[in-house]
Amino acid sequence: MKDKALEIKNLSVSLGGMNVLQNINFSLEKGEVAALVGPNGAGKSTLIKAVLGLVSYKGEIKILDSKRKSIYKLGYVPQYFSFDLEFPLTVNEFLSFNTKLKDKREIDKALKEVEMYKYKNHKLAKLSGGQKQRILIAQAILSDPELLFLDEPTTGIDASGEKGFYEIIEHLNKVHGTTIVMSSHELSMVYKYADKVICLNQEMYCSGNPNKAITKDVLEKLYGKDTELKAHSH
Amino acid sequence: MLEIFELAFMQRALITGIILAVVLAYLGVLVILRKMSFFADGIAHASLAGVAIGVLASFYPLVSAIAFSLLMGLLIYYLEEKSKLSSDTIIGIIFSSGLALGAMLMSFKSGYQPELISFLFGNILAITWLDLIIISAVGLIIILFVKFYYKKLVLISLNEDLAQAQGIRSKRLKLVFYLSLSVAVVLAIKVLGLILASALLIIPVATAKSFAKSLQHLNFLAIFIAIITVFLGLLVSYYFDLSTGPTIVLLGSVFFFLSLLFKKD
Repeated sequence: MKDKALEIKNLSVSLGGMNVLQNINFSLEKGEVAALVGPNGAGKSTLIKAVLGLVSYKGEIKILDSKRKSIYKLGYVPQYFSFDLEFPLTVNEFLSFNTKLKDKREIDKALKEVEMYKYKNHKLAKLSGGQKQRILIAQAILSDPELLFLDEPTTGIDASGEKGFYEIIEHLNKVHGTTIVMSSHELSMVYKYADKVICLNQEMYCSGNPNKAITKDVLEKLYGKDTELKAHSH
Repeated sequence: MLEIFELAFMQRALITGIILAVVLAYLGVLVILRKMSFFADGIAHASLAGVAIGVLASFYPLVSAIAFSLLMGLLIYYLEEKSKLSSDTIIGIIFSSGLALGAMLMSFKSGYQPELISFLFGNILAITWLDLIIISAVGLIIILFVKFYYKKLVLISLNEDLAQAQGIRSKRLKLVFYLSLSVAVVLAIKVLGLILASALLIIPVATAKSFAKSLQHLNFLAIFIAIITVFLGLLVSYYFDLSTGPTIVLLGSVFFFLSLLFKKD
């Protein structure tokens, strides 16, 4: 049996007096790609934040068989964020500000991994959505993390950028053995790239192989009665 | 032309102005990134209450204004964290309350109040050696703090979750930044007046943005432009007998509009 990368037991999160997540239980093995699916407000981002220790929670979270979190073993790609387009922060400056950076040569290595090395001295704000997302992945893999969390990573990216993005994720998983957890709205991508799906809508409605776990009944619980199961390749 | 700087009050004004230019432009880069110019404006205006307390109690007004600004910075931070009100609503309330309290307190003191006028509009002649020492010492502490935590301050300004995931204690750092910014703005009220104090935070950085190739370059250019603006503002105000604060701000605005004409994409 493979080692556990992530183990969550009886996880509940309340924010501002509202229950955002209730009684979530699942585990991931090392090297798996997991997708968190569910409608807006389902608690996908909150789940990622709880694992990263950004929000307080009840229950138990074990990362790589330890209750203590090492920031060096975890990478995080937040939701797409924009800032002043005229702000001249360069890609190199942004990456060099990372607290996990030990050696500046790691910047070049990470940029080459995401095929963005030639943009090293470009202004971050001027890059396209897809290019920015690659830079955010570069900052997340600077310390060569074992577990990578991506929150709605393809929001604001066009179709070609999205394809390139998933190729990088696949590369990190297959070549570096990185365990990936990403929240997503796109079920077609979930079927294509994820080994495991976790269906959330405050509670957990499914967990397992996407082809088996995502049923019509589950989709109705997540998105409402009128939802149809979209065609997918399996 | 430069013989005016042989005058003791102009020496004090020049040194104070340059220190303020460095402190405010350096902080201003983060203020622009965080979109906090209204915060700076609000603190500057609200500090009238701190000035009034000092004037009424016959206590050194710059120190009471600094203490009051710290209180206001703390209050804004606390309300932002604990209430569901938006940041600009909170600052708007603090802004007007501080100004109203200051005006009310000032009305208790009868007769002409030259000190109040100099704090409202700035008065270069009013800079004492004690002012210079306080502004230099406090300004140096703020610069050292920002320099030491610069990378972390930029990261929490870009995305707080990302910063926290990298192990940065963002809430504590944000609070110290708010307090530093509150004090920095109040340091400028003797030169620029509390009405215009935040201008040196914003205008030189906005001008420098037109030409900056990187964040490091932006810092350098913003500080350089701020120093030039203060220096020329002092000269122009002296030779044309104009109010120094407004002259410096208007000169800064001229540079800004010129920068738009020569801007490089």
